[in-house]
Amino acid sequence: MTAREHERALDLIMRRGTEEIAAPESAWLNSHLSECSECANFAADCDSTGRLLRAVAVTASPSLVQATQTRVRARAAELQERQSRTVLIAISFCIGAMSSTMSAWLWWRFGGWVAQRLALPASIVEPGVFVAWMLPAVAIAVAMLASSHPVIDRSLTMNILREHQEGGRQ
Amino acid sequence: METEEAQIARGLRGRDPEVLDALIEQYQHRLLRYLLHLTGNRAVAEDLFQETWLRVLEKGHLYDGRNRFVTWLMSIGHNVAIDYLRKRSPVSLDEMKDPEDGTPFEPPASAPSPFDMAAEQQQHERFNAALEKVSPLFREVLVLRFQEQMKLEEIATLVRIPVATVKTRIYRGVAALRPLLQGGPQ
Repeated sequence: MTAREHERALDLIMRRGTEEIAAPESAWLNSHLSECSECANFAADCDSTGRLLRAVAVTASPSLVQATQTRVRARAAELQERQSRTVLIAISFCIGAMSSTMSAWLWWRFGGWVAQRLALPASIVEPGVFVAWMLPAVAIAVAMLASSHPVIDRSLTMNILREHQEGGRQ
Repeated sequence: METEEAQIARGLRGRDPEVLDALIEQYQHRLLRYLLHLTGNRAVAEDLFQETWLRVLEKGHLYDGRNRFVTWLMSIGHNVAIDYLRKRSPVSLDEMKDPEDGTPFEPPASAPSPFDMAAEQQQHERFNAALEKVSPLFREVLVLRFQEQMKLEEIATLVRIPVATVKTRIYRGVAALRPLLQGGPQ
């Protein structure tokens, strides 16, 4: 018997039970197993391993499942909230950038006019114009930071989690 | 018609809590069993169980529904366990066994007579003890192949190793269990 035949037999033994094996292949394997004690022993060991492993009963407790579902729901709400805020910030940034771009020329002209009228030096007027130009973006950023409270009230979820943890300790 | 996998993929993309609740219910025992075999510690396995589902929620958009959901779920569980082990790098999977916890697995289901039950339970205890002595690398593929009934290619995808390596690990894992399976000393 060649090493190639043993290799083929081992491959078929490992696949049978979970994969469809063609009838000729199956017949060849049976014939090989009747002649090769080493492969036959391996096949028997695989069967025993499978039988013993499948007999091991491991179950998740209902409290674990419930706690997992609660945590997943809380996290889903958190992610949803974060996504909403990201969209809001992106829209606000675009509006701020557009308004700043469109008003840049006007602010620069206005700065020039103020400097001319009040006879102010450029070292004062230019930074002033820059600050005024940035004002919409700064105002939006301040407004976003000021409203950084959670949009979704998670107190109920947190209470459920706390109660569950206390229940687990008891 | 939309397949079950495609429906799951759609639900995960939308982070639908109902879909996630149903999936947790459906795959609770299989995932916990896999993590328990991987870590050998019930408390750690339960922590990783929760962590796995949180990661399923976060990475749900990556599931395309082309492969079986259980394979994808187990691969997430595998990665969570690997991350946990990396954080605790000096501790190996075998060392994670809780010394206080002598019987990590619950006893098997009912048997015909008390004699048979006792004998069977003894056999299972010996088997579990032997299984815990097997390298985690071999134990993982044994569990996936013989308990979860996964195909060799699925195991290879899940563990991210070539199919030839899966076969080698199964062969060596079975060989390591042979003394017990043939009724020899543990």
